[in-house]
Amino acid sequence: MSIFAAAFGFGLVSMSVIAIAAVGFTMQFGITNMINLAYGQVMISSAYVAYYINRAGITIWVGMIAGAFFGAAFSFLLNRLVYAPFQRKGTSYLGMVIVSLAVSLMIANLLLPIVGYFSVSYSEHAGSLVRLGDIVLTNNQIAIIALSVAVMLGIHALLRYTRLGKAMRATAANPTLARNCGIPTQRVIDMVWLITGALCGLAGVVAALNSDSFVISSGAGFLITALAAAVLGGAGQPYGAMIGAVIIGLVTELSAAAWSPEYKEVVAFGILVLVMVLRPQGLLAKRGALAAAG
Amino acid sequence: MLDRKPVVAQPRPEPSLRAEGITSGYGGVPVIRDVSIAVGPAEIVAVIGPNGAGKSTLLKSLVGILRVTGGKVLLGDQDVTNRPPEELARRGVGYVPQVNDIFEPLTVLENLEMGGYLLASGRVRERVEEVGHVFPALAPMLKRRADKLSGGERKMLAIARVLMLDPQVLILDEPTANLSPKLADNLLREHVRRLAGVGKAVLLVEQRARAALGIASWTSVLVSGTTRLEGRPQDLLQREDFEELFLGAGPAKAAHESDEKENEKT
Repeated sequence: MSIFAAAFGFGLVSMSVIAIAAVGFTMQFGITNMINLAYGQVMISSAYVAYYINRAGITIWVGMIAGAFFGAAFSFLLNRLVYAPFQRKGTSYLGMVIVSLAVSLMIANLLLPIVGYFSVSYSEHAGSLVRLGDIVLTNNQIAIIALSVAVMLGIHALLRYTRLGKAMRATAANPTLARNCGIPTQRVIDMVWLITGALCGLAGVVAALNSDSFVISSGAGFLITALAAAVLGGAGQPYGAMIGAVIIGLVTELSAAAWSPEYKEVVAFGILVLVMVLRPQGLLAKRGALAAAG
Repeated sequence: MLDRKPVVAQPRPEPSLRAEGITSGYGGVPVIRDVSIAVGPAEIVAVIGPNGAGKSTLLKSLVGILRVTGGKVLLGDQDVTNRPPEELARRGVGYVPQVNDIFEPLTVLENLEMGGYLLASGRVRERVEEVGHVFPALAPMLKRRADKLSGGERKMLAIARVLMLDPQVLILDEPTANLSPKLADNLLREHVRRLAGVGKAVLLVEQRARAALGIASWTSVLVSGTTRLEGRPQDLLQREDFEELFLGAGPAKAAHESDEKENEKT
């Protein structure tokens, strides 16, 4: 069995995990103008919520649902209590980035005494192995891929076919005009935080499940891969983030096979830097569902 | 210029929307001061004046985008001063901004759907069809992305979008900006007139003062943030100082020059 075929299989799982995280992250930016650097910490917090449920003997798939709900509630409150008041005061983009960075540090340090600094992992059977040619995946990994595909289709359907999704795109494209149409943009933005927060929580649990073990500091790595995929695809563009996730997922796993798994995040970050230099507007600069606002 | 017949001045209708001595601007600096304006059913009221006179500021203050710091905005007999834009849309005031007047990444149909956001979902489809009859040119391009439209189509879409809610008051900020003179004339004479013809109160800001006077039933000249002059177009046109006023300091010649420039551009 070729090591690269195996890496390709892992790449499929990785891109599935990254896609869920990156789509949530990029929608937050596209619609609410918020580069939420606390995203990785909300992911890891949700992963811990699932961990405690899992430790009580409940399957991780239930923990995953709890993680999604937790992520939704956490992100919603984060916006209502911290980000929205700053934005109302007219804080600049850069100012908001600093605010989210501060929130990120606060979450990490508040969580540390609760969850401890040792690494933990979910106790869940990986399930039996499934072979597709040279690619070998566990049932759990296949479930993650299926879940991600379902989430992506769900986001697509939301944005294309529902009244709420169209209102989200309208709010992203032109918030003032949206209000002139009678669209309650505040409520739309609340829904954006709930939905992207659920994606964030779900992504956190899935990412933790896909790692051998995780610690509080894993949140930073989660953020970097999501950020790299989102920027690669064109910030604020959900379809771009999906494409970005496919590329980052494959490249990091192939580099892990060829080089060393230790450097996955370095590779993701390297891609991020390259994109910033070569094509800062991202792959889907103008064509995605949400025009990057601002 | 015109042979003067005694015009039997019809009384103006009861205003649907009116501003009473409003003051407004950006960041606490007033751009318009103590401006009053009114528009009633089936009327076309044109606000003209030089660049920077505060025409757009006036419209934005009426629809709740800019904060009014003095005076009142009344819809019928209800005070709607500083009510949010969503509420004015709900209460029958449609606003078409000069720029950023459509949702560019959305399709034409989606733009119309957003215009009809407040309607029941079954009603949206009916209304898209009805609005399609007002602007037949839009009907075949419902699936097209709005940023692929030409300037004229784009403005039609912007107006069609506000018509989705069948507003009683229509506020148009320079609907003919960036249109060729021919298209501009068509938009004003055909579409804007027809809107007033079906009883809507139309308030518009226009750079093309002459074209605006041609369709307006009442005109207000805004200079440096205050109303310098108002009246029926035929009365205004007879004033000798009129051209000078509506163009600010510039003589009449400047108007022709700028018209020619526009012609070259398009």
